[in-house]
Amino acid sequence: MRFFVCYTFDFRPRLFYSIETMDIDIAHVAKLARLKLTEAERKTLAEQLPNIVNYIAKLQEVDTNDVDARAYLTDAVNVWREDVAQENEVQRLAIISAFPKKASEALEVPGVFEK
Amino acid sequence: MTVRQIRDAVRDGKMTAVEITEATLADIKKRDGEIHAFLETFDEDALAQAKKIDALRATGESLPPLAGVPAAIKDNMLYAGHISSAGSKMLAEYKGAYTATVVQRLIDAGAIIIGRTNCDEFAMGSSTETSAFGNTKNPWDKKKVPGGSSGGSAAAVAAGFVPASLGSDTGGSIRQPASLTGIVGLKPTYGRVSRYGIIALASSLDQVGPFAHTVEDAAMILEAIEGRDEHDATSVELENTTIGEILTPNFEGLRVGVPKEYFIDGMDADITKLVKEAIAVFKSGGAEIVEISLPLTSYALPTYYIIQPAEASSNLARFDGMRYGTRAPGTLEESYLDARGDGFGVEVKRRIMLGTFILSAGYFDAFYKKALAVRTALRKEFDDAFKRVDVIIGPTSPTVAWNLGEKFDDPLAMYLADIFTTAGNIAGIPGISIPCGFANQLPVGLQIQAKPFAEAMMFRAAAAYEKQTGWSRFYPETK
Repeated sequence: MRFFVCYTFDFRPRLFYSIETMDIDIAHVAKLARLKLTEAERKTLAEQLPNIVNYIAKLQEVDTNDVDARAYLTDAVNVWREDVAQENEVQRLAIISAFPKKASEALEVPGVFEK
Repeated sequence: MTVRQIRDAVRDGKMTAVEITEATLADIKKRDGEIHAFLETFDEDALAQAKKIDALRATGESLPPLAGVPAAIKDNMLYAGHISSAGSKMLAEYKGAYTATVVQRLIDAGAIIIGRTNCDEFAMGSSTETSAFGNTKNPWDKKKVPGGSSGGSAAAVAAGFVPASLGSDTGGSIRQPASLTGIVGLKPTYGRVSRYGIIALASSLDQVGPFAHTVEDAAMILEAIEGRDEHDATSVELENTTIGEILTPNFEGLRVGVPKEYFIDGMDADITKLVKEAIAVFKSGGAEIVEISLPLTSYALPTYYIIQPAEASSNLARFDGMRYGTRAPGTLEESYLDARGDGFGVEVKRRIMLGTFILSAGYFDAFYKKALAVRTALRKEFDDAFKRVDVIIGPTSPTVAWNLGEKFDDPLAMYLADIFTTAGNIAGIPGISIPCGFANQLPVGLQIQAKPFAEAMMFRAAAAYEKQTGWSRFYPETK
């Protein structure tokens, strides 16, 4: 897929996309998502994702030049509370007991750096 | 029986909480084999809770507001010591270390937590078919889907197992299954109910709410769970005002907005007819009908399918088999890839891929940032409309319940099931679906939306319509 900027009669830049050049690198996205896909899944997604992306790209039609992008719409800003540690032995033990691998009470994980 | 009837029966000593709990559990064992609303019932803890209620009553102390009322919770809500699997193989054995605020508040209000209900995997779906633990059937026709993602919670109430249940609604996952199963389903204003202990799908959209048979029951459950929670910074301090208004349901002075964009091509003709009949009921009751326009309506669904997968791909990054779940062998990267590849189902993978693509370099501004801007514009459109009207009404779903399997392999067709509900999540406004009749013997829902935190107004309109028509008195016949 390719995006290009186009200037309309009112001299405001608009972003357009072209459907024909739609191309999603499934293997690359799967690697970013740390997701193993079977060959069949890869094939299905290669067919389905461009259709879904074409559909959501419909948003380019909406003029949002005068609108702020906001992730949350509530009026709340900077909701603080004191950072007070709460002892809860039951919760602590429940969390530890869920560890798939552990050494005593410590969580055991594969090394980040290979030898 | 309704929430209020059970509560009153326990209060008046006509029934004990233990009798009700035993009867509920027996009924589920007898009839749920066919419907599969529940993934598990919590027999032991439910009976222990019921005994406490009966003991409290024996002391003569006043009972909490939902004392003895059986309730079910969606499988994505934590209940300490019990499995919460979010319908996923990834969390098949996962037990929460703490209890979600909404579940704790139900318990504190005296409700009996009967069990956990089936749902789409990580609440991603509109039919409950993406659950790793089998389909739930629509109690009205067992060849049909119950809607989703909270399909188990909806079916549990529709079938009459429990008078109320909790679901979560990210794009319609309470209202749409309520519509397809002929019951009341409420998505509160974003911030009204705590999300603490809910397995997150999309954090800026998720909201917990009740299913029930009557508007009053839904309001009673909402009153128990709502309000500020220090564990969820987006939850808001409220003055409790929900229940009072309902006791005098009336249409007088009510300004009802009907957006022309809510009647689209491709919608079932019977649904259009039933919704228009519902509008006529409002009108003849004395409400003022105002034709309005919400031009961004058709952009709500594409906006939703950017924001929701983007947030979901980020939220679901935590499921990697490291701290809980199943650890896959190999190096760190191999372990991540295998745990996630084996643990997630097809719809979850699709949305993680979509979300990751949207957030990847080169596409972030064109999709994600654009969607946030449209989101703000959509909210403004609602704000402007609510200067002229008190509530907005229209259909909840463009179709009645469809056949199991019918849309499973066509993601876009499935996504379109939420075309009228996603706007409410994007704008953060409350919405309720109430039954408004039947098409081909299948229930149809009417959606009523109001401005943020105007649930009382929404309840008043919904209760007035309910009183006038009585569609919610119908139950499916199941054996």
